[in-house]
Amino acid sequence: MDAAKPLPRISPDNQAFWAGCKRHELVLPFCTACGKPHLPPGPVCPFCLGDHLEWRRASGRGVVSSWTVVHQPWFPAFKADLPYNVIQVELAEGPRLTANVVEAPNSVLRVGLPVEVVFDDVTPEVTLPRFRPISLSPPGRGELSP
Amino acid sequence: MVLDVRNQAAIVGFGLSPFGRNLPQSQLGLAAIAFKNALADAGLTRADVDGLSIHLGWPLGVDYDRVAEAFGLDIRYVNQTWLHGRFVTQALQSAALAVATGMADVVACVTAVSFTREREILGGPGDHEGSREEGGTHGEAPVYGLTGPASGAALAMQRYMARYGATSAQLAAVPIAIRKHALLNPGAVMKKPLSLADHQAARWVVEPLRLFDCCPVTDGAAVVLVTSMERARDLKQPPVAITSMQGIRAGRDEFIFAPPGLGINQQPTGQVTPRPTDLEVFRKADIDPKDIAAFYTYDAFSPLVLFALERFGHCAAGEAAQWVQNGRIELGGELPVNTSGGLLSEVHIGGWNSICEIARQLRGQAGARQVVDARYMQWGTCWGDSIIFSRV
Repeated sequence: MDAAKPLPRISPDNQAFWAGCKRHELVLPFCTACGKPHLPPGPVCPFCLGDHLEWRRASGRGVVSSWTVVHQPWFPAFKADLPYNVIQVELAEGPRLTANVVEAPNSVLRVGLPVEVVFDDVTPEVTLPRFRPISLSPPGRGELSP
Repeated sequence: MVLDVRNQAAIVGFGLSPFGRNLPQSQLGLAAIAFKNALADAGLTRADVDGLSIHLGWPLGVDYDRVAEAFGLDIRYVNQTWLHGRFVTQALQSAALAVATGMADVVACVTAVSFTREREILGGPGDHEGSREEGGTHGEAPVYGLTGPASGAALAMQRYMARYGATSAQLAAVPIAIRKHALLNPGAVMKKPLSLADHQAARWVVEPLRLFDCCPVTDGAAVVLVTSMERARDLKQPPVAITSMQGIRAGRDEFIFAPPGLGINQQPTGQVTPRPTDLEVFRKADIDPKDIAAFYTYDAFSPLVLFALERFGHCAAGEAAQWVQNGRIELGGELPVNTSGGLLSEVHIGGWNSICEIARQLRGQAGARQVVDARYMQWGTCWGDSIIFSRV
């Protein structure tokens, strides 16, 4: 993996999110007062201003709420990946996350595409969440059903 | 009881530098040219200027202190913003409030940009804004290679297209109209006509935005001088009144480059219609959207024009892509937009070029671009702030 690609900037508010990714778990901060999860991770619940947040595992599923394909080489470290996609995913739990789609060509991208998280260990310390399309086709003859 | 500042401040002068690419002057050098031109336009001297509203600063330029030092000013009021286009309105509103309340007599609003010299700071490894706590100001996600302010506009337009069925060919009407206006402006950077075929054949930048959906990288400066209305009436030019104002909207419903309800970042997805809060600026001026003779908006990326038109009720939510067809936003059409060429074709100085054009228009000095019988003109952005100006 190209080490010149930027890594996330860890802060007290997001540290648990990135620790979860390293464990290959998508976790979200939930407010213990009003029950809502939020992103991006913040110091208080943005819905009720509550101070007591609890990180819980999320389903890892969502739908693409928007997408783009980058053609401009803004970043030398990403030049070899051009044209590459970036998406926003509306997670099943509600909050949206910016990431990218892998294991599929850019041509599958559409608003509403169901996706599930996969984890990419980009360095020994840092793991990034990415998403792949969920296949909705039923199992064929002889295959196990999910 | 709140203070009524309607029509208590006015633009009394403005000055521009040359606009172009790879200009030899520094940003301060361009600002100096614009400043002297503004003083001459207003019939004021440097000693008259006692306030600064600086739309310069981070990430590319210097702050108020260096401007005051470089020009030898004697300042008792400062508003400092940073260079992002989102602060144009606020910089002018602050100047209006300062003179209306007596904190300053004459405020110079100053912007100057050498994008061609400083371009690596925009959207690349030198762009640190996306690395701040939880991200950049335009939806950047550097970890995934999403930098460059165009990215946020691209994500918004993609979702808008999926929701309303708008197309790239429809979007082209925006840069095409604004380019036509630039061709009537000898100072504009872009000199060639733009056709639908040109727009559609041009390369993708960040889908669904093509080359001509993004403003070019340019250099330029503008200074706008603001005084109280009382002082304005004694000066050389017809005053251009700052009639009503509303501020930047912020919160989880808001994303800088998308209308509320579109569903970008953490915006809830919902009905996007002009809400009472979006129309505050009209109520304060006691007029309707249809009374606006020309509309000016931040047009670094063409979708932002659609979103601003919808936000202020000039057309219904989801209809702007269709509404801008057939010359509706061109001079001679129902609502001309960015009549001097905007950011897309005149120059990227945040939108101050459009503020200056509003002043020219309401003074009756717009020549070939003159909108006839115009009483009210509006500057309004897709992030919700706005000023309505009027002829006195």
